[in-house]
Amino acid sequence: MAKKLKGDFFFLTANDLQTGAVLFFTKKGWLCESSDAIKIPRERIEHYEKIARKYEDDCRIISPFFVELDESGGIKSLRDKIRNKGITFKLKNV
Amino acid sequence: MYKYSKTDKQIVKARTKQFKNQVFRRIKGKLSEEEFKPLRLMNGLYLQLHAYMLRVAIPYGELSSNQLKKLAEIAKKYDKGYGHFTTRQNIQFNWPKLTDVPEILSELAEVEMHAIQTSGNCIRNLSSDHLAGIIKNEVEDPRPWCEIIRKWSTFHPEFSFLPRKFKIAVTGCDEDRAAIKVHDIGLKLINKNDRIGFEVYVGGGQGRSPYIAKKLRNFLKKGDLLNYLEAILSTYNELGRRDNIYKARIKILINELGIEKFKNKVEEKFKKFSNQELIIKKEDIKKIFSYFQLPKLNKKKGIVKNNKDPKYNIWLKQNVIKHKISGYSIVLISLKPLGKPPGDADAKQMKGIAKISDEYSFGEIRVTHEQNLVLPHIENKNLFLVWKKLRNLDISTPNIGLITDTICCPGMDYCALATARSIPISQKISNHFRNIENQKKIGDLKIKISGCINACGHHHVGNIGILGLDKNGAESYQITLGGSSKNDASIGQIVGPSFSEGNLLGAIEKIINLYKKNKKKNEDFLSVFRRIGISEFKKYLYDNTS
Repeated sequence: MAKKLKGDFFFLTANDLQTGAVLFFTKKGWLCESSDAIKIPRERIEHYEKIARKYEDDCRIISPFFVELDESGGIKSLRDKIRNKGITFKLKNV
Repeated sequence: MYKYSKTDKQIVKARTKQFKNQVFRRIKGKLSEEEFKPLRLMNGLYLQLHAYMLRVAIPYGELSSNQLKKLAEIAKKYDKGYGHFTTRQNIQFNWPKLTDVPEILSELAEVEMHAIQTSGNCIRNLSSDHLAGIIKNEVEDPRPWCEIIRKWSTFHPEFSFLPRKFKIAVTGCDEDRAAIKVHDIGLKLINKNDRIGFEVYVGGGQGRSPYIAKKLRNFLKKGDLLNYLEAILSTYNELGRRDNIYKARIKILINELGIEKFKNKVEEKFKKFSNQELIIKKEDIKKIFSYFQLPKLNKKKGIVKNNKDPKYNIWLKQNVIKHKISGYSIVLISLKPLGKPPGDADAKQMKGIAKISDEYSFGEIRVTHEQNLVLPHIENKNLFLVWKKLRNLDISTPNIGLITDTICCPGMDYCALATARSIPISQKISNHFRNIENQKKIGDLKIKISGCINACGHHHVGNIGILGLDKNGAESYQITLGGSSKNDASIGQIVGPSFSEGNLLGAIEKIINLYKKNKKKNEDFLSVFRRIGISEFKKYLYDNTS
């Protein structure tokens, strides 16, 4: 999970096992919004890996991973930004 | 249309029940994700960026109106109200909940549909010509043969865990609309000395190592089809690599072994097979063919007439083609209206098309591998009415085969494997070239866009192919030129360094301009490209002094 991580700060994210929805780990637990996500420094990665594993074992989440943050504390990669904000075009008639 | 046998019904029902139990065990923690993942994939269920995605098989692109109505219901009830028709004639739902999937599968089973073998290293859903059985100059309808192969390949015990996924396409025409030469096996029905049989191609494919299939057999007797497929598949199963996922497809094996050596091995096995059960009996072939009879179409004199509405006339010319029975036409419904993701249809449109089909096309619909739909049997006198109804559903765009009829994978907006977005690129192209008169001046042109090297958007065989890449964290688009998936199939050539999203449209505009400049009367893009070569395009695109 923490292999090949670059950067200094991260969010912990996963998908909800039952619905597949994107989740972020916050002080209140797993939420769909990233605005309250805990900013995790590199040295705390191992601790949060254990937390993620526990939720996986409890069948709450799947595919947890760490999202790298940029200098301003925002999500760095486009893929993770899309994953957070949703698709980048408007779905007509939906 | 295919009909489920009693056995088909039983196995689909049993599989649905089995999967319901597997989902229950997963949620209760009795199955880990590691254990569950291969089971969900066997039922077409992936985990994408935002949600689960369910891929439903549409055997060789053939749908009944009842099935399309059911797909519309599923889109509305369990998803966000739409579905995405894919380049393999399937449909994908992008937002189902895991807990709803067993229910979706059981609703699909009610209309003889399922998601079996739409994923995994097995023989995938067969694809075919979307004009099968309704077009002139066809040697024979390929759909019964697809059905025979479907029956043989479903849950085939020996071929359920192949080195890698396996795709078969069948066509019955000289003009290839099924892209058989970019499939693991491509079958073409031919007439040789008044005997009908198959020309067999093998080892085509796209992805990171694209290959055009090589001819394996000049003529195969129809009755021997399954034995010969069995010989190819068992040779691949035995010799295909399992140590490296990127080298596991049959195309790599054939490239490494050489076609002659591969052929010898297949022919050896074919001779040895004394499996009489796999020699297809004439009466069985006849029975399967009886499912694919044309509806009662009485030859009529009704000619296709223009109307005072110019928009209708444009549509008529671009989206309507001749049926083999006089007095009838084939209507191609473009799923590429301006500003919409290619291949998407919402529940209202699906329901509407099903209704139109019930009223005017004997309840039949086809899905094309170019992500459009077909109403196969429209009486000429009803064409104007059908057009009006399609227009009300916002699916009367007259752009079939033109520059805005792009093929496009879901890209990074949905797909967990993608390295760049593809749908917004398709929308930009569509918006930029939206003027229909200009599109017609450009003529036949296939733009195909993939969001990663896996090539689900078929970019390798686009006349203009666009491949989305990740270049140091930014999206970047590589252009290939001269690809084709037709009879003269060819893999596109990379034109040069990739373009940023902002510069891509300008590059395409330049390519089109050079084509227009060199175009001789009625010459299409591909012909011009093949005549003048890639160097001219390179020079024009990258020479800063020009």
